[in-house]
Amino acid sequence: MTQESKIPVAELRHRQPRYQAIEPGHRACLGCGQALAVRLVSEATGPDIIVANATGCLEIFTTPWPESAWKVPWMHSLFENTGAIASGIEAALKAQGKTTKVVAMGGDGGTFDIGFQALSGMLERDHNVLYVCYDNEAYMNTGVQRSGSTPHAAMTNTSPPGRERMGKRHLKKDVINIVASHHIPYAATAAVAYPSDLRKKVRRALAVDGPTFLQIHAPCPLGWGHDGSKSVEIGRLAVETGLYPLIELERGELTGVMPIRHPRPVVDYLKAQQRFRHLFADDARAREELEHLQAIADHNIEMYGLRSSGDDPLDTDGSDTVRRGGARWA
Amino acid sequence: MTILTRGAYAEPGTTQNYQTGTWRVQRPIHLHGTAPCHGACPAGEDAQAYLARLEEGNPRAAWETLVTANPLPATTGRVCHHPCESACNRGKYDEPIAIHHVERWLGDQAILEGWAYPVAPLAADAPPVAVVGAGPAGIACAYHLRRLGYRPTLFDELPVAGGTLRTALPPYRLPREVLDAEIERILALGIEFRAHTKLGRDVSLGDLRSDFRAVFLGPGRQSGREWSVNGVTPRDLHHGLDLLKEWVALGKVGCPKSIAIIGGGNTAVDLSRILKRAGASEVHVITHQSLPGPDVDPHDAMTAIQREVAQAIEEGVQIHPNRGIHRLILRGERVVGVEMVRMKKLDRGGGKVERVAFEGTESVLHVDQVIPAIGQEVDEGGMEEVLMGAGAFSVDVWGSSGATGVFAGGDARRGSSGTVSGAVGDGRRAALAMDRHIRGEVQPEGEARAPVTEYNKLNLHYFEHASRPLERVVPPADRSGDNEVELGIDLEEVKHEARRCFSCGNCFACDNCWTFCPDSSVLKTQEMASDGSHYVFDYDFCKGCGLCANECPCGFIAMAEDL
Repeated sequence: MTQESKIPVAELRHRQPRYQAIEPGHRACLGCGQALAVRLVSEATGPDIIVANATGCLEIFTTPWPESAWKVPWMHSLFENTGAIASGIEAALKAQGKTTKVVAMGGDGGTFDIGFQALSGMLERDHNVLYVCYDNEAYMNTGVQRSGSTPHAAMTNTSPPGRERMGKRHLKKDVINIVASHHIPYAATAAVAYPSDLRKKVRRALAVDGPTFLQIHAPCPLGWGHDGSKSVEIGRLAVETGLYPLIELERGELTGVMPIRHPRPVVDYLKAQQRFRHLFADDARAREELEHLQAIADHNIEMYGLRSSGDDPLDTDGSDTVRRGGARWA
Repeated sequence: MTILTRGAYAEPGTTQNYQTGTWRVQRPIHLHGTAPCHGACPAGEDAQAYLARLEEGNPRAAWETLVTANPLPATTGRVCHHPCESACNRGKYDEPIAIHHVERWLGDQAILEGWAYPVAPLAADAPPVAVVGAGPAGIACAYHLRRLGYRPTLFDELPVAGGTLRTALPPYRLPREVLDAEIERILALGIEFRAHTKLGRDVSLGDLRSDFRAVFLGPGRQSGREWSVNGVTPRDLHHGLDLLKEWVALGKVGCPKSIAIIGGGNTAVDLSRILKRAGASEVHVITHQSLPGPDVDPHDAMTAIQREVAQAIEEGVQIHPNRGIHRLILRGERVVGVEMVRMKKLDRGGGKVERVAFEGTESVLHVDQVIPAIGQEVDEGGMEEVLMGAGAFSVDVWGSSGATGVFAGGDARRGSSGTVSGAVGDGRRAALAMDRHIRGEVQPEGEARAPVTEYNKLNLHYFEHASRPLERVVPPADRSGDNEVELGIDLEEVKHEARRCFSCGNCFACDNCWTFCPDSSVLKTQEMASDGSHYVFDYDFCKGCGLCANECPCGFIAMAEDL
């Protein structure tokens, strides 16, 4: 329980073997999935990027005036125009003959809903930009309102369960397929619980010349109602239940999935979060919604062929296997 | 000098000016736990530690780690009942690590490659200490005293060192070249071996106490326990251990056609297999204990090592569990059979347990000889002033006998498990205590060890199922004489086992905490940090979310209150 007092921590921070574009001291909540996701993305991009960041938690917690957690050029756009700002930066760099990569970042609100038109335009105009969507499935920054990404039956402040409804009435928008339908070279989903897979997808996206898109499952302890220590565990369950399929789409075609070694029942994922607690009430509608969500997971598993052959080193069990010395986190 | 490149730092207003560590109400700490294998080892070996060295690709360092506790790994790797494997957390996941095979492989490799024991040269003024009895307890005690900088003299009645390991362990379990090599290498460290020297005959305990700074007594148990059935004994009574010794010494033993051995311990089982090898057509083992098995309370089961019992049955030995001897059937003084009866240990209430014979379950076994193998007694010769007729040494955890400077252990200790690894542990602890005694230090209550890391402290998501290697065993039809029955595992399998280890309670640098911290507050160190990990927490920024503790596969990170 002793910590090596002889190691100067501040100096050690400059000697870390992996680059990270954001510094500590940011104001994210305890166990923030988004803060983790940004860090993992930047570990794969390296320092040679310019970030265009939509309004949202990330923008707020990394830039409390007069400070900034960013070690890379960073520009705050409005909620709705991250795609446009990123397009502009990319066009300017292109005109100057520079190769610095532009990374647009937004939450699910800024991506699925408010900024969708600008995103669609950016994809359609074929800008060389990686757009990363941190998907925590609601407007968390403004106090947990439903978004187009909020899963069916989840409770938010604007989709409360009650006499009329069991949480959100509509389905989660299938934005990855909508984006892929722009015929872009690379679009993928990832989860913070699988960091190697996440970083690999960032590297793949950056290797492509053209618009690419990454949608990252980022648990929100405050908005979802779970302990901050469980963010990775819940992220893992989202994938293992089939509710959050990890897929890669190139030019609209499915080119890769992370197979699930042992599919878990959706209740394992749902019961760990307060936003689904009404589904565990003694209520016929609750039971129906549980079955509904299980059916959605089963549908995902079937549609994307998510069943593992059993010993795939890149399936849900194989890809988080640890070894002495940490060699797995490539 | 650290060169900061573009993008390596932010200015002028970095968020590092704001220490989020002030939000924290709990902090992550590195918490060493004792791996269950370590906690369960009677000899005190830390298997987790040497499996780690093996996984790092350094078998020699693994062996050096091993012999800081047990100098006889090639021996115990063969004959130990390996409680480490019963305790192994991996057993609850798929199959326990084959620790005893790894131990054996390391011991054999050390002999093969001539690895030197990690012991400093002996100083000219090293204080002399005496060790009586060159069995596993005495050898371990002498070795540890030598490690601690003493000059041990090892006394034994027999011409060669080894004690029961040499006189009574069948060579098919422990080939003598292995035992010889290991003992020779230990004695060569500077331990004087005085053969043909019996305590009470050639040297007195008083002499030893005045000539040496401290004395360890590890005489073992040499005299057969008195045995009769209702006062009747057969004419040609031989004790099990004596026959065992005869076989080991001469390579042969006279035996009639059919024999009954009474007892459920290792002596009974070893002897049964030897008599089979010597040509007896029917060998029966009669024991009031049960056959060991998954549903059997270990306290009721035969005390012999389970795999030895299984091999004996394979070789055609007939075991009669839960039976007692009611009567010897004699013609004159010659045995022609025994009358057995079914027995069971019953709880009589009030903590009283009684062995009950059931009327009407008597059966007769026609045998030509009956051999009791029901345990031995301590031969008190020369140790009367310490034993005072008690029959065994009543000692504390450190082996202190009560007499100043006299320590004891091994089989002769009251409550001894009668195992080699238990004896090695006794010798090791006594050596530590003798060192403290000589230096005038107070003996602590027990060995200081972190709590054992239980199965539920591990995060098993980060491991994959993998099976334990199958040991090569000579098929029953091909077993004969002194040829070794168990053949161990090879290097590839040893490495496989090292990779399977969960590293319970000890960091194995998987990078999980460093990878998952949302606040970049786990920093990786190049050199090993003082707590044996490769990470330090940056408490200036750690918000105390607990993600690292939750995702640590080894149970090495705990959350402590930090208000």
